[in-house]
Amino acid sequence: MNTASIATAAILTPALTPILTQLAVSGALIGLVYALIAYGFQLTFATSKSINFGQGELVMVSAFFSLTLITWGVPYWLVVPAGLLFGAALGLFVERAAVRLALEQKGEGWILLTIILGLFLNSVAENVWGRDDHPFPTPISSNALHVFGVTVTPVELSVAVGVFAVMGLVELFKRKTLLGKAFEAISADRDAGELMGISATHTVMLSYALSGMVAALAGILVSPITTVGPTMASALILKAFSVAVVAGLESGFGVVVIGMFLGALESIASYQLGSGWREAPGLVLLILALAVRPTGVFGKATIRKV
Amino acid sequence: MLVVTDLHAGYGASEVLDGATLSVKAGTVVALIGANGAGKTTTMRAISGLIRPSQGTVTLDGAPVHQLPASRIARLGLAHAPEGRKVFGPLSVEDNLLLGAYRLLPHFFGFRRRAAGDLERVYALFPRLRDRRQQQAGTLSGGEQQMLAIGRALMARPKVMLLDEPSMGLAPVIVQEVFRTIERLKQEGMTMLLVEQFAQAALAVADYGYVMERGRIAVEGTPAELRKNDKVIAAYLG
Amino acid sequence: MGKRLVILRGAELAMFALLVAVPVAVRNPYVLGLLTLLAIYGVLLIGLDISVGYLGQVNLAQAAFLGLGAYTAGIVIVRLHGGIGLACGAATVVGLLLGALLALPSLRLEGPQFALATLSFTALSATALNEMEWLTGGAQGLSLVRPPLFGHALSAREFYWLCMLLLALVWMALRNLLAGQWGRAFGALRDSPIATDAMGVGTYRHKVAGFALGSGLGGLAGALYALDFQYLQPLTYVYELTVVLLMGVVLGGRKSLWGAFVGASLVALLPNLLSNRLLFEVISGLGFVFAIVSAVRGLRHKTMSRFQAVAPVIATGMLVVGGFVVANTEDWRKAIFALMLFSVVVGLPEGLMGFAAQFFSRILHIPPQPLPEMSALETVLPARREGGSTEAGAPLLELRNLRRYFGGVKAVDSVSMAVRAGQVHGLIGPNGSGKSTLVNVVSGLYAPTAGEVLLRGRPLPRGSLFDTARAGVARTFQNLQLFSGLTALENVMVALRGAYPRSRSLLLVLLGLAHREERRAQADALALLDFVGLRDQALTPARDLPYGAQRFLEIARAVARKPEVLILDEPAAGLSQPDIVRQMEIIKRVHERGVTIILIEHHMDVVSGLCDVVTVLDEGKVIAEGSPVEVKRHPAVIAAYLGAGP
Repeated sequence: MNTASIATAAILTPALTPILTQLAVSGALIGLVYALIAYGFQLTFATSKSINFGQGELVMVSAFFSLTLITWGVPYWLVVPAGLLFGAALGLFVERAAVRLALEQKGEGWILLTIILGLFLNSVAENVWGRDDHPFPTPISSNALHVFGVTVTPVELSVAVGVFAVMGLVELFKRKTLLGKAFEAISADRDAGELMGISATHTVMLSYALSGMVAALAGILVSPITTVGPTMASALILKAFSVAVVAGLESGFGVVVIGMFLGALESIASYQLGSGWREAPGLVLLILALAVRPTGVFGKATIRKV
Repeated sequence: MLVVTDLHAGYGASEVLDGATLSVKAGTVVALIGANGAGKTTTMRAISGLIRPSQGTVTLDGAPVHQLPASRIARLGLAHAPEGRKVFGPLSVEDNLLLGAYRLLPHFFGFRRRAAGDLERVYALFPRLRDRRQQQAGTLSGGEQQMLAIGRALMARPKVMLLDEPSMGLAPVIVQEVFRTIERLKQEGMTMLLVEQFAQAALAVADYGYVMERGRIAVEGTPAELRKNDKVIAAYLG
Repeated sequence: MGKRLVILRGAELAMFALLVAVPVAVRNPYVLGLLTLLAIYGVLLIGLDISVGYLGQVNLAQAAFLGLGAYTAGIVIVRLHGGIGLACGAATVVGLLLGALLALPSLRLEGPQFALATLSFTALSATALNEMEWLTGGAQGLSLVRPPLFGHALSAREFYWLCMLLLALVWMALRNLLAGQWGRAFGALRDSPIATDAMGVGTYRHKVAGFALGSGLGGLAGALYALDFQYLQPLTYVYELTVVLLMGVVLGGRKSLWGAFVGASLVALLPNLLSNRLLFEVISGLGFVFAIVSAVRGLRHKTMSRFQAVAPVIATGMLVVGGFVVANTEDWRKAIFALMLFSVVVGLPEGLMGFAAQFFSRILHIPPQPLPEMSALETVLPARREGGSTEAGAPLLELRNLRRYFGGVKAVDSVSMAVRAGQVHGLIGPNGSGKSTLVNVVSGLYAPTAGEVLLRGRPLPRGSLFDTARAGVARTFQNLQLFSGLTALENVMVALRGAYPRSRSLLLVLLGLAHREERRAQADALALLDFVGLRDQALTPARDLPYGAQRFLEIARAVARKPEVLILDEPAAGLSQPDIVRQMEIIKRVHERGVTIILIEHHMDVVSGLCDVVTVLDEGKVIAEGSPVEVKRHPAVIAAYLGAGP
């Protein structure tokens, strides 16, 4: 993670409160990446009540794929759409190989199967690209800017821009196109949607493609800050899980809020408690949220039916 | 228009439908009545493809459809206003109606313009829906939701419309309104299969009726014949 | 002892005898190490199978409990100088407690959220163990020396026997547990959590207890692991281990002690499989052939979908091809696990033991255990004429201004009514009038929005099926909520839970001291099945019963609770005329034994034939009340419900 930049910021800023502010801001920007991955869970959960437990591997493999394109000399602004398409294709692969059968059997086999697929992709990445971390070059500058006494880099800002742009576009698609409305119809009532002529299978496929695309974008955005390596998958996925569960699996606004909060919290925690404890606040937050509000802070309560 | 032959279907191991056979001629209204649990709703669900029949055939306009998923059958022109109305609660009334016409409209842009005429027709039929076009469908009253469900089905310009218990849980006044609408659609030539608990009211609008018992058709005939049948009187009209 | 018991126990005995004898014959430290590992994994996977198999939840925390148990044992030995017994005990207790702590919040969740919670717990444990250097030694690991047992230093072989002994004890204890009320409760809550609560069994507490027990076994396995290797390093591969353990359970076969054992052997042997290229080729080749054969069979008999048949062939094919192409299988370890597990989950969901069990039961034809003589009805369902504090005719159950809204919909809108002791109280009204919601509120499925329900003048618990069931209200369901995988007899036995003192104590059950009560429960349940005329179908799984019989069974099951109030939600729905007559007979007989009944029904002849009083609901409100004859003539009822008539 960006401990280096946090440490630099910490040394440069004299008083404690500004340090914490700085930590909170950088952390919150990284937190947006967790929010983006968690948003990918929401997309598929809406249509099929399933999520991809191997989503972290999608982030990682898409990032590696994009890195390969860059090393081949493909310009960055072509790499981005290519990476997104690759992510969408991976999402479709996950849907076909791990999810569809389990949904047809109305079972929860998809949990195990998506974990398995993630493990497989992880192993493939290790063998194709190696186990080391690689820097991810980007044309966006990483020279510090000073805004209201807080230091941010354009790379960090690009995360925010990318996340909000994509989430905005997807929400726009859901609200303004008939296909998007069909998407919402299937989430609201699968059977009734089918009766309108909307194919639930195709909708689920579409949601997995979108979710894969979102994961690829998360990889492309975060890699310039964190570097690319096989271990990034598990590090990111755990935080995205925490965000998704704490925020609930329905509200896009919720994941943004919780994602930024968690990002800020963990960057402060790793400063105060030591970097090894970086993961801890998210996990504690998660278990607390489960205990107090199992459907998530922004989730809706469900009614049991007989 | 719609022919159902020897239909078997069920949930898991329990077989609810045990060889139901019925047919709906173009331009007629057919009523399907019977006790709770007799298999009326299951018949509807099997016809529209929400459950896959284990045996038997369904043809729509001559084409076999019993192997197709529900979405394909719907695109062929069968509309089903399901039991419990099943409107899309979080979406607006107008969006619900637009989705009803999903099979006819372009899927990205320009769908509003194309649907304008049909929307007008539905709003003319149910003026109350026009007043509430931007309201979330889940917040409508039961009667309004029923009208929305019927309106949504009409938007598809269907060849056949299935109406499952349109009176369920509604106050008598609203029930009368629903039946007036059905009567009006009948005048306009709509082909309908109607499942109803209110046997009297259903037989009043129907051209032909079927009585269902334990997953098969026990009695059939014109409303006049059914009203005279002792068994029917004892069980459903008494 | 029937033939069945001889075969089953014989097989277990033979296996343990063989395993104990191996180190006497073969003096190879490598083999001994493998066998010790097998015993440890056996304990671990039996624990994991409780949550994955019996509770049907994807549990990703068992590897964490192994680690936590190992470190607990290590710390007890190194820092507190404790002995083997203390180390194992402490590790088990830590597993139990942390398991319960994790389960309490997270088992309220279903499926994916539960898996997420356990995964987070695993990550949190790994972080904590790595970071708390003052306690665990952090990245340097923790070395320990195996302490002596009763002053006797254990050799490797003796330690192996100790592990085997523990495995055998765990095996027996779990068999006792799962063969009795607990096993049935687990089966029941998977089929219908709602009905499990409604039978006063407590879905949630059984889930938590089951999960904690499995975690405790994980802790015990961890202690044995620490004592075996005598060195602990931080949990670096914890996620991978989690998946490997799941693979063991799934591959071996869920819901089976044998399956867990087979899975443990596979997990123990896995490293060898990867290091020996020839063995790897042979195994993956066999898997490939097996996948092709079963795909061809499955497609021909149409028992498999195309994906289910083809995907395992592709996956095992990749294994075979990979075996030739790849330079070092160790590097591809995770991909190999993934492909193997994928093939099994898709193509052989019942696991190896599931497959073998079907095969053996076909060729051996193991007969079921004979049933005991049935008990007298009076002991199972005592007639309740006098006795109670309430005179017949006094109000037993009272509803006061009861409301239940869903969003803006007023499903039940200020209903007040009194049900008198010993009566059959009918509840009718059009579909959607609020009858079902009303009984759902009374029985505790929904909490009321306002108002209260009193039983004998005391308020009933709000919004808890389980507590309401315990207070003496039993119910049936409009859409049948039988435990479909259990037999008719077991369905009734689930509801009898709590009637027998010994079976309530977990310890006595684990020690196998509740067998006699198990027989009594069978006898009692048989009497109730006889009461509804299903005695001959006692051993038929509920899902295979004819529809009518399923409705009768629901009543037998509810009556087994010896309820004060019995709520019947459309007991005649979908029944044929002869079955309706039979059902009315049954309800009459239940009533004759003094049970007060609330009856929701659409068939007016059933209502007229059975009810003393009828309340009519419309749009969530009471529109009429009186005898069936009075109600039928009531103008509001005719308008809203019955219709004008011909």
